[in-house]
Amino acid sequence: MSGLFDHPFEEEPPAPEAIDTPRPRRQIVTVAELTAGIRASLESGFGELWVEGEISNCRVWNTGHVYFTLKDQAAQLKAVMFRSAYRYLKFKIDDGIHVVARGRLSVYEPKGEYQLVCEHLEPQGRGALQLAFEQLKRKLQAEGLFATARKRPLPALPRKIGIVTSLDGAALKDIIKVLSRRHPNAHLVLRPVRVQGDGAGEDIARALKAIARVPGVDVVIVGRGGGSIEDLWAFNEEILARAIAASPVPVISAVGHEVDVTIADFVADLRAPTPSAAAEMVVTAKEESSARINRLQGRLEAAMRAGIQRRRQALHVLTSRRGLAGWQVRVAMQGRHISELTHALRRAAAVLVARRGREHQLRVARLEARDVCRSLAVVRSRLEAADGRLAATGARAVERAQARLAAAVGRLESLSPLGVLARGYAVCWNSERTAIVRDADTVNPGDRVRVTLHKGELDCEVHGTHGSDH
Amino acid sequence: MDPTIKDFESASAELEAIVKQMEEGDLTLEKALQLYERGVQLSRFCHSRLEEAERRLEILNERGELRPAHAAMGLTPADESGKGR
Repeated sequence: MSGLFDHPFEEEPPAPEAIDTPRPRRQIVTVAELTAGIRASLESGFGELWVEGEISNCRVWNTGHVYFTLKDQAAQLKAVMFRSAYRYLKFKIDDGIHVVARGRLSVYEPKGEYQLVCEHLEPQGRGALQLAFEQLKRKLQAEGLFATARKRPLPALPRKIGIVTSLDGAALKDIIKVLSRRHPNAHLVLRPVRVQGDGAGEDIARALKAIARVPGVDVVIVGRGGGSIEDLWAFNEEILARAIAASPVPVISAVGHEVDVTIADFVADLRAPTPSAAAEMVVTAKEESSARINRLQGRLEAAMRAGIQRRRQALHVLTSRRGLAGWQVRVAMQGRHISELTHALRRAAAVLVARRGREHQLRVARLEARDVCRSLAVVRSRLEAADGRLAATGARAVERAQARLAAAVGRLESLSPLGVLARGYAVCWNSERTAIVRDADTVNPGDRVRVTLHKGELDCEVHGTHGSDH
Repeated sequence: MDPTIKDFESASAELEAIVKQMEEGDLTLEKALQLYERGVQLSRFCHSRLEEAERRLEILNERGELRPAHAAMGLTPADESGKGR
């Protein structure tokens, strides 16, 4: 027993005669009866209370009930909040939070402890929503959900732009207005959703999952127009934050006005200050892509032109060497060929391919018309003459020039019809040997033709003709 | 469309690589021409992608069905009549 009760008796022991004095009839109650009485008295005597204090020793039990102590500098009060009440609390209960608790006093009879059974807690100093916001923000931040490394770039050219917002809100109108002005051929997919009220966070999260699965949707704008913190609350809910983090495509958050910051903004790949700004971001990404392609195309043309210019200069150096002037005729042909190519390159690739085919035919015809072999002989004899002069300028220079020339000559020889004949091809002439027969339809059975082989010629008579398939 | 070109992103990445390769020079004329042709093809593809998208507004409903939006949504006719143009 506590010394508190013993103490007075030590000071003043009871008189012996008092022991014999008949006591009033004793009324003995059981512990349970007394406790029940105390309980009834506390419950009816105090009624509903608002108690201010700081939370400490708080523990959430498996049952979902929360036990804690409310304290101030002088006293402590045990408290409990049952699951049925706790689940309506926006914020998570935690030690150190200063609250006003609404509830009733009661007694936990098995332990003889009185406690405050809380119905509701209000954080002091800041709103419950504000507190909940801070708590969730801390938690998700610790998980790394806001990390810059997680942020994905917007697609260069979204095939479809997903929008998750309310059908009749200002956000949708703003987004459509911007896109109509700056990206008139945008393909939008809208998933209308309730953006405020109980369960809105869950609805938006589900809508986000659904829209990200639509084939071609490469980016999603999720948001709503401005409102109070309560109106915007869905965008501070954990379920939506996790849905944004899990989205397979980049998400742009666009909630309220510039000053409104929500948890969704922290998790999103990109935070737009307003819904209009979100639309601008998507459009800007597209415009940047367009500019980038234009730049690349310009560089492609320039690189091709520079490459041709370089080759032209190399040829020029070769042709301007003293003693090689006679070679210039041949080289000029190549030079002209390159000029033609330069011109052709300004056109589209398809045109270019066709043109090169035609050029090849032209070149063959040209070579047929001339006696290439004789030209080469002239070139060779001039080269021999040049050799002597070049020897004075150093043997190495000659070797270099010769090697270049040999390579060029080799290329030309490979194009000579005589070289072709040596490989087994034949040239078919008309009987007068004035024109080459290119088409079976130009001769008739009975006509005579001459065929030039690598060595010698044949005099032939046509027995039949077979037109080409095409 | 050329089956060797997958999408805008890969086409523009390939174009960029080709341009870099050509700018480094050191290519045979034949190779340079080949790259140039491919580059022209790619940039054409990208331009067509940038222009081709068709203006549309579709609604994804609760059942996961895509439906064209209509004027009843409160959008002005101009918001939607551009479809197909």
